[in-house]
Amino acid sequence: MSIADEDTKPDTKRGSAALLGDAFPIVDRRFRENSPRLLGPNTWVQTQRLLVRLVRDPLTFVFGLILPIFFLVVLNIVLGDAIRLVTGHSALHGSVPLVTVGAVMGGASVAAVGIITERADGLLARLWVVPVHRASGLLARIGSEAVRVVVNSFFILCAGLVLGLRFEHGALASLAWLCFPAVFGIAFAMLVMTVALYWPSTTLVEAIATVQYLGLFFCTGFVPLDQYPQWIRPVVQHQPMSYAVEAMRGLSLGGPVLRPALGTLLWSGGIVVACVIPMALGYRRASMRG
Amino acid sequence: MTAALTVARPRPSTFRQWWVLTTRLVTPSLRNGEVLVSVGSVVIFTAGWYIPLNHIMGPRSGMSSYAQFLMPLIALQGIAFASEAGALRASTDAVTGISRRFESMPIAMLTPLAARTSTSVYRCVIGTAAALICGHVIGFRFHRGLVYAVAFCLFLILIGVVLSYLADLMGTTSKNPEATTQWLLLPQLIFGLLSVGIQPAEGFPHWIQPVVRNQPISQFVYVLRALAGDTTPGAGSVTWPVVGPSVAWIVGAITITVPLSVILLLRRP
Repeated sequence: MSIADEDTKPDTKRGSAALLGDAFPIVDRRFRENSPRLLGPNTWVQTQRLLVRLVRDPLTFVFGLILPIFFLVVLNIVLGDAIRLVTGHSALHGSVPLVTVGAVMGGASVAAVGIITERADGLLARLWVVPVHRASGLLARIGSEAVRVVVNSFFILCAGLVLGLRFEHGALASLAWLCFPAVFGIAFAMLVMTVALYWPSTTLVEAIATVQYLGLFFCTGFVPLDQYPQWIRPVVQHQPMSYAVEAMRGLSLGGPVLRPALGTLLWSGGIVVACVIPMALGYRRASMRG
Repeated sequence: MTAALTVARPRPSTFRQWWVLTTRLVTPSLRNGEVLVSVGSVVIFTAGWYIPLNHIMGPRSGMSSYAQFLMPLIALQGIAFASEAGALRASTDAVTGISRRFESMPIAMLTPLAARTSTSVYRCVIGTAAALICGHVIGFRFHRGLVYAVAFCLFLILIGVVLSYLADLMGTTSKNPEATTQWLLLPQLIFGLLSVGIQPAEGFPHWIQPVVRNQPISQFVYVLRALAGDTTPGAGSVTWPVVGPSVAWIVGAITITVPLSVILLLRRP
């Protein structure tokens, strides 16, 4: 599939080359390879390629939609009544955000496997010797993950609405609601990509699942904070998924939004800042050494 | 040329072949992280359900402690993870072609299957041991003495072998090892959570209670809970009405899957 994409690339990439009949492609050399003008078109082409790969991989739907939605339905049946008794509100205000954040995290493993197999196939090295902007490969990966995260969150929100989640503060709040899994999901995807560049092993999928399940179980969206034993409460309260879930709960049910929102932004920003330089170096290394 | 023809044909011993194929599966399991993943999954599962739910579910469980109530489900998850590891192995063997290679060698048709089955016993023993250690840490105890404790473990391993057999069948016939394990999570999730292992059947919404009560995992949970016993009478007793449905499920699963897998394995590709 990747080879077919390679072949079609000159057609779609108007910025630097065009295919005239069966002649050799005439390369447009008006701009240098790293010219900022090419960054946009080059990134867009590669983003499209990655999105097509994502949509064609059944695991995207297994991780992103099927498992999370089943988990949400079952969680609502099993714990819904018990949590309503304890908190007095529908458990969906906590479980839909929880499952959304979890799904967005689990979906990152598809991109991780993609980056590992493309490195092993030599596609990363191939793209490195093609005259495209140096930053476009990495930006396209982040861009495609951003699209996946937003679309995925939207579908789980729809599932939550079908199950009975209601926004007390109107439709605008639901748009803001989508920002939190998006922001944290992009940061987590960057973390996963960085790890995948330095540790190219498919065991990474299991490692991601482990992190994801630990995060799901020890999160305020699963059961309320005061139900956890005293010694683990600080961990539960301050882990990034809890911040995102609390902000989202605040938007749907009402309650403090600013503090958990700042917490989510700090965690996500911290992850991005910590990852960005190792990721750029790792991507260059992975592209050059095959 | 003629010398080669006059040499007596080797007579491979089926027993030794089985042993070689079994050690082929068992030996790398310590190195390639297979054991680590199944033990780690049990630990995460135990911590992930016990710590958050102890306070909320403990008083509703009707038993002396939530650990005592949750233990059968932990044990069943332990063997479920073990059978998933087996499915992954069977699927990898099928995809990489070693299974077809075995078919072309002078090995009896069912020896590889027998080796995979005996390996699944080994995996289930590890899963059971991990579950018992985790259960002991959170406060689970056997209350009926040694005989019932041994019966608990043997019953669990029996379920595990049947489950591994099913998982093996799915793994051998699938083409994608990674997808297989992810798909197997789905029944584990549904049957595990919608069972009486997490909370009593009365805690579920009315419309789903008949399903919850009668599905196989719930029946296994009833038996294991009765075998483990409790200081309160909430655990139930080891009688035919409790044990019968589980035995029927196991016998039914065996009578369907064994002929099915023999047909699938003997079919020439």
